[in-house]
Amino acid sequence: MRKVLCSLMVCVLFLLTGCSGSTDPQGAKSGPVTITIWHDKEDAVIAVLQEAVQALEPEVTVLFEKKTGMTESLKLVGNDQNAAPDMYFFAHDKIGVYAEMGILTPITELLGEDALAGYVPLTIQGATYQGTIYQVPLYFETLLFMYNKKYMAQEDVPATTEQLYSYMQRKTKYGHYGFVEQHSTPYYAAGWIHGFGGSLITDAGVPCLDSAEVKAALDYHKKFVAYMPGETEYATVNTLFMEGMAHATIAGPWFVPTVRAAGIDVGIAPMPVVDETVLPLAPYSGIQGLHVLKVQTERKKDAIVKVLQVLMQPEVSVKLAKVSGCAPAVESCYTLEEVTADPLIMAMKQTAETAIPMPNIPEMDVMWTVAGDLLTNVNMSGQDIESAAAAAQKKALELIEAMK
Amino acid sequence: MKQSPEKKARKKAAMAYLVSAPSLVLIFLIVVFPILYTGYISFTNMNTYHWFNFDFIGLSNYGRALLVFDSGFLSALLMTVVWTAVNMALQLMIAFLIANLLNVKHLPLRNVYKTILMFPWAMPGYVSILLWKTGMFNSQFGLLTQWMEDISGLTVRWLQNDVSAFICCTVVNLWLALPFMIMIMDGGLKSIDRSYYESATLDGAGPIRQAIAITLPCLKPIIGPSVMITLFTTFKQFDVIYLMTQQVGSQTGAHIHTIITYAYENAFITNNYGYSSAISIMIFMMLIIFAQVTNRRSKEANA
Repeated sequence: MRKVLCSLMVCVLFLLTGCSGSTDPQGAKSGPVTITIWHDKEDAVIAVLQEAVQALEPEVTVLFEKKTGMTESLKLVGNDQNAAPDMYFFAHDKIGVYAEMGILTPITELLGEDALAGYVPLTIQGATYQGTIYQVPLYFETLLFMYNKKYMAQEDVPATTEQLYSYMQRKTKYGHYGFVEQHSTPYYAAGWIHGFGGSLITDAGVPCLDSAEVKAALDYHKKFVAYMPGETEYATVNTLFMEGMAHATIAGPWFVPTVRAAGIDVGIAPMPVVDETVLPLAPYSGIQGLHVLKVQTERKKDAIVKVLQVLMQPEVSVKLAKVSGCAPAVESCYTLEEVTADPLIMAMKQTAETAIPMPNIPEMDVMWTVAGDLLTNVNMSGQDIESAAAAAQKKALELIEAMK
Repeated sequence: MKQSPEKKARKKAAMAYLVSAPSLVLIFLIVVFPILYTGYISFTNMNTYHWFNFDFIGLSNYGRALLVFDSGFLSALLMTVVWTAVNMALQLMIAFLIANLLNVKHLPLRNVYKTILMFPWAMPGYVSILLWKTGMFNSQFGLLTQWMEDISGLTVRWLQNDVSAFICCTVVNLWLALPFMIMIMDGGLKSIDRSYYESATLDGAGPIRQAIAITLPCLKPIIGPSVMITLFTTFKQFDVIYLMTQQVGSQTGAHIHTIITYAYENAFITNNYGYSSAISIMIFMMLIIFAQVTNRRSKEANA
């Protein structure tokens, strides 16, 4: 009996200790180093990176691991030397959260102050949190104004929002829509708010949902919503455009290959300018790049720097832009013909002049939900803008307070 | 040497614990430990700004959590009770009806029906919910919308107002939950001795009288635990209501909140784990009290 009990205890202890993983620090060994990079990207993008880092083998081997739920995983193991990756490849919008958690290494500590001097300013703006750069940008994406050339003639492509409205009034009938967008999703509606000179939140983390600019944008935007379908989530909007039932839309570059595969002759145009403010719709931009985990930096610094330097080469950026449908982060790429000849990339570069990087401050985490509620209440539930904005502002302040 | 009866009983009990030990350890790791850890976190200031260097802050989070239990929370609580009552009543009635139909004598293709009825259970809930949302209720492409347009010429936005969204969510929840209840009731019906019905038929009792006097009393103790499990699953429902009406990027305009969706929108998105844990523990305590009350009532009814 005692023997059985002892065996059981040993099994339980084995199970418990087994969960803690290996404690062998790789950095203590000399010789080849393995760098692990978590990502959430498609295979074609990773193939470009993998090909580029092969030059470092056998001294440095880079292992790309696709992770679902990466942002949550990083919160759980971001400071665990045995479980955390060395780097991760993701959009810039979580930088503030991870920087506050203390799991990121400033890029300038690894590469020096001037290493990112030749980058598109928008990308550096996105990679910076409280004056420190935490990301090596690889490429960026912005929303684009897309239209179906079969239905929208070149002369009908709206230069201003009033022209767009007029087009919607004329063409929204018999199951067709002149223009559709995800009107109640903050990521998409932010372009309209920025077009009125407003924003969802300041750099200091103060919500602006009841500001005059936001209310003016919501009020103006409502008349466009009246000519769009009731539900305008991702699937509905994209399906309407792909089936030729929507003549124009605002969508990300990732949508273009799907649209082309569906046989749509798609055109890309600059964002319409708001007549009242003479500012273009200025969408959010996402900057995709590499972030380095602090917990691994000390023992693998040299290898990490080598990997970053290889992946920062302009030719890698160009290849990445081609396969991802996004725009290179390195400014010098825009002198190359293969980049300038690509209308999609150049449209994004043009939009980048006015686009705004998604806020990377931790407070933004709650703003997506609160701003989404505000947009839904105004656009879909018909609530009064004044009271809905005041309620949203109050809720945003409460939630931001609750974060601390 | 002969062992005393007490020693024998002790040995038997020890052996019972021993063979159960692996399961108990697993239950501890999977169920008990997370609850205890959540309780521990609820006494700390673990949040984005104190992720790894959090401190013990006593009952502060509980004090702040009480602020979440405002008028919005009370209406969410009321909605949760209505949601649970409506869903449970419908589930029991429909499952009872279908299980009885499945047990009709000489029913052809019985196993085919059973397989089809089990199908929603085999599908991941997330997929089922989104299929219903886009495939049935979508105002552009939904099958129900198109039928409605053909019949009345009206475009109905099923998920836009609270009442119709509540009904739609109930339909989806029934779709997801009925297979389990039907299976349990089907098993229960099969376990009832047929001689009761034969005697009742001889005594002149009709099908309804037989159902009230024989089937229901016999089923009650069999399906009791399953009903209890379903009751709690329905009470703490999150997926159906959130994915159908509140998912960021595809909100529909309806404002139906259960206590869990309300807590999610008012606390969990803040990344303040201490604060969110305190709310979780308080909801957990509410569920424990609810379980105790329900158990006591059930025992009293059976006594």
